[in-house]
Amino acid sequence: MFKKRAALSAPRMLHPSATKAAAIGLSAALLLTACGRDNGSGSGSTESASPIASGPATGTVTVWAQGAEGTALPALAKEFEAANPGVKVNVTAIPWDAAHNKYQTAIAGGTTPDIAQMGTTWMSDFSDAFEATPSAVDTDDIFPGSVKSTDVGGTKYGVPWYVDANVVFYRSDLAARAGHETFPTDWDGFKSLAKDLQSKAGAKYGVALPAGGADSFQRILPFVWSGGAQLVNKDSTKWTLDTPELAEALNYYNSFFTEGIADKNPATGAGAAESAFVNGSVPMWIGGPSGIGELEKAGGAGFADKYKVALVPKQKSATSFAGGSNLVVFKKSQNRDAAWKFIQWLTQPEIQVKWYKATGDLPASQSAWKDPSLSGDSKLAVFGDQLKDVNSPPSLTTWTQVSAAADTQLEQIVKAGKDPASALKELQSTADTIGTGR
Amino acid sequence: MSTTSSRTPLPPASRSPRGAAGPSLRRRKQALVAWMFAVPFVAIFAVFMLVPLVSSFAMSFTDFTSRDVQNPAAVSFVGIEQYATLLANAQFVHSMLNTAYFVAVGIPLTMAVALALAVALNSGIKRFRTAFRVGFYTPVVTSIVAVAVVWRFILQPDGLLNTILGAVGIHGPDWLNSTTWAMPSMILMAVWRNMGTLMIIFLAGLQNVSTEMLEAAEVDGANAWQRFTRITLPTLRPTLLLGAVLLSVGYLQFFEEPFVMTKGGPLDSTLSISYFTYNQFGFGKYGLASAASYVLFVAIALLSLVQFRALRSKD
Amino acid sequence: MYVLLLLAVAATLLPFAWMLLGSFKTQGELLRRPVTWWPQEGTLANYISWFTELHIDKFFANSLIVAVVTVLGNLLFCSMIGYALAKMSFPGKRFLFLLVMVTLMVPGVVTFVPLFVMVSKLGLVSTYPALFLPFLASPVGVFLMRQFMLGIPDSIIEAARIDGAGEFRIFTRVVMPLCGPPLATLGILTFLGSWNNFLWPLVAAQSEDMYTLPVALSLFSTGQNATNYGLLLAGSVLVITPIVALFVALQRFFIQSVAATGIK
Repeated sequence: MFKKRAALSAPRMLHPSATKAAAIGLSAALLLTACGRDNGSGSGSTESASPIASGPATGTVTVWAQGAEGTALPALAKEFEAANPGVKVNVTAIPWDAAHNKYQTAIAGGTTPDIAQMGTTWMSDFSDAFEATPSAVDTDDIFPGSVKSTDVGGTKYGVPWYVDANVVFYRSDLAARAGHETFPTDWDGFKSLAKDLQSKAGAKYGVALPAGGADSFQRILPFVWSGGAQLVNKDSTKWTLDTPELAEALNYYNSFFTEGIADKNPATGAGAAESAFVNGSVPMWIGGPSGIGELEKAGGAGFADKYKVALVPKQKSATSFAGGSNLVVFKKSQNRDAAWKFIQWLTQPEIQVKWYKATGDLPASQSAWKDPSLSGDSKLAVFGDQLKDVNSPPSLTTWTQVSAAADTQLEQIVKAGKDPASALKELQSTADTIGTGR
Repeated sequence: MSTTSSRTPLPPASRSPRGAAGPSLRRRKQALVAWMFAVPFVAIFAVFMLVPLVSSFAMSFTDFTSRDVQNPAAVSFVGIEQYATLLANAQFVHSMLNTAYFVAVGIPLTMAVALALAVALNSGIKRFRTAFRVGFYTPVVTSIVAVAVVWRFILQPDGLLNTILGAVGIHGPDWLNSTTWAMPSMILMAVWRNMGTLMIIFLAGLQNVSTEMLEAAEVDGANAWQRFTRITLPTLRPTLLLGAVLLSVGYLQFFEEPFVMTKGGPLDSTLSISYFTYNQFGFGKYGLASAASYVLFVAIALLSLVQFRALRSKD
Repeated sequence: MYVLLLLAVAATLLPFAWMLLGSFKTQGELLRRPVTWWPQEGTLANYISWFTELHIDKFFANSLIVAVVTVLGNLLFCSMIGYALAKMSFPGKRFLFLLVMVTLMVPGVVTFVPLFVMVSKLGLVSTYPALFLPFLASPVGVFLMRQFMLGIPDSIIEAARIDGAGEFRIFTRVVMPLCGPPLATLGILTFLGSWNNFLWPLVAAQSEDMYTLPVALSLFSTGQNATNYGLLLAGSVLVITPIVALFVALQRFFIQSVAATGIK
């Protein structure tokens, strides 16, 4: 019943009996039943789940979903219950604020639900507790860039539920005044548009870009990927941060700040970015689909005609960030058959369209995008295009730490004038210390 | 518990009811009754406080991570390695300096403001006393989540504070985005949130200041400031120290303000020890996080000890 | 003096004024710059959604139940152990008091995960006891009650003992009636702590039926990328009002008891 993860503990092991005594002492202290999990999570090795039982779903399925998703899901789940008379879906809505905390403690306490909504960047944090996706669950129709976000160490956990990609929001009216009738496609063009917005269209800053702080590095990944940089090597055994590609991307990015096109200290208060966009003082940003709704509220009627969205600018590629959420099943689930069935049902194209109409969440299913409610909207169409070229951060357990270290370096580059090359050297050595967890 | 130790001499009982004449049976009975009084608290305290505390302390000497909770057999004992890692971590050291800055500026400032308010409220005003007290205390009762939004509006570049400063001709900085001004902003918020508690403690202490002495001093020609420094302050000394102890326990654990306002930034300039610890827990590094907590515990204990000593020496 | 105090109190309360006014604004107005002071397009919509679709009454009831039980438990348990520590002698007394005081200095974040594991092993997750049990034994309460009871003259207790009263009778009939001020203080402090607690109820309550006000406030007002500020401000006003009222009602005792306990 004790399965040692020898690979991890061996190098630091002092004395077998001391280790055992400490472990037993701890488990006693924590009141743990030591045989909680017998499914040894071999780090690096791939796993596969047992197939799903046939027939309609039965029993109770508990689902945790965050914020608006959690409050909207019960209505949709009623339809699933109607189609499967023996099933009951219990949804608990969780605040986004501390959802990560909540999952972490629930896993620690062994009190996980059957299904949970996982932010794409959280997959590797908790993948130990997830069940691998059974082969019967078909993901062919889902955007491949999003499916990649469910892959941790070669095993797929869960299915993308809704997707989200960052695109460029810009004031098309001001761009036209600055002499840009069409949106530029490459890095140079993007910068000159930002410059012209500043010099010819009265903007205070050409574009709003993250200048540091939590998750800032994650938000600039579109530039990193589009510049051809990769964060880890092929088999994910080493961080590749100190590379010419990444240095070039950061130099380009930093030039917006050094040339005064972007604000080193962007206002972070409530609605600050929206109002700056609406009043034209900072008429361009890179963001996700929620921006559409926010701008509608901040800009009022008719504002929708004053701005457009566009693909992220291209260097070697025009790759953006695959956001959104996946649905996962926990290993501890008592009703995994019904849980997987519910997930399969939720990711069907027609249900995805219904979900989009209820919440505004963009469908992960590609065929759902053929529905006129999506294909007929010129702004959403851009998101649909962008989703064909998206990437996710490496799904490694140590990514959150490396990304936090990268946030710090980015902030030092932008705010403290640190040289990108030496920042990357430092970042590389920090990341090497942290390791890839493989 | 009580029966086995009945032979050992009792700790110097402050108020032994019948002195040495009391038969040991009576003592034993009282010990039993005393423990019965203590037991409900002790039971809950042991289960929900001591056990988690002891296990977290044990964790700080292991390589415990979030993955090990359900299967602790894989954990290794690493001695003081976590503590060594911690002290070699530049970010942790930075967080210690930030915490020291916050404590060193925050405590005297909060005490000065609270004392000023208490003295003003005690200066013989009759009307609206309750209203003033409640007004100054309201920030204490409010949850940080609720006020964080408002403080953002106050501290943003075109916010309330800079508008007010602008009216007197000062061009205010971008408070939360400046490595120089972010920490003072946190201190300002902390003063606002904590001055009410201290004000009430000081108000209570001021009731001990003898009015006769003050009047006598006034007759002797002492001015208000002299009366304050020569009579009021010395009487208040124990109260001030109590306030300092309470504040230092709270301020050394400084976390909520940066958590809701700055996320520890910019450039880690508001990252406190507690915040660092919180982040490590978030990364699942329970061993390291526990070690960081106990470093903080030692700091709190030391500072309190120093202050308690000072408090006692005056008795 | 009045003028100075008025200015100071106005500055202190300014954030609350803004919160109150903001709760009557639309999201659009809250996002607009320059920041407005008075609501330009005043609306009750934020309050209406709290009371209708979001069922604030349910969360209010949860918060109230948890807070009241926590307060009552603390009042009882802390005064009991406080009495033992102050007025009786028993082996282990000094050690016990020291132990309780030391835990005051341990950062709360460190016990969070072990505590949750404990609660889940006891099978309490998502029950009311999970929300209040860990908070029934507060070290501050022990300190407060013990300090106050030390000040009660021994002669009163001795007299009762000579009259043949048992310790429980002395405790309930003689000591407790004298303890109004510290009980009021402990009551306010415990109520506050419980009422504003966010992280623990979030983790310990696993169904919405068990959510408390701060959890609900965060759930409905804070999205992944966007915050509904009007809802948040209105909710904050609703959360704050009861505790301010409580303080207004009990503040007289509060100051008395600090005077009686703190200065010893």
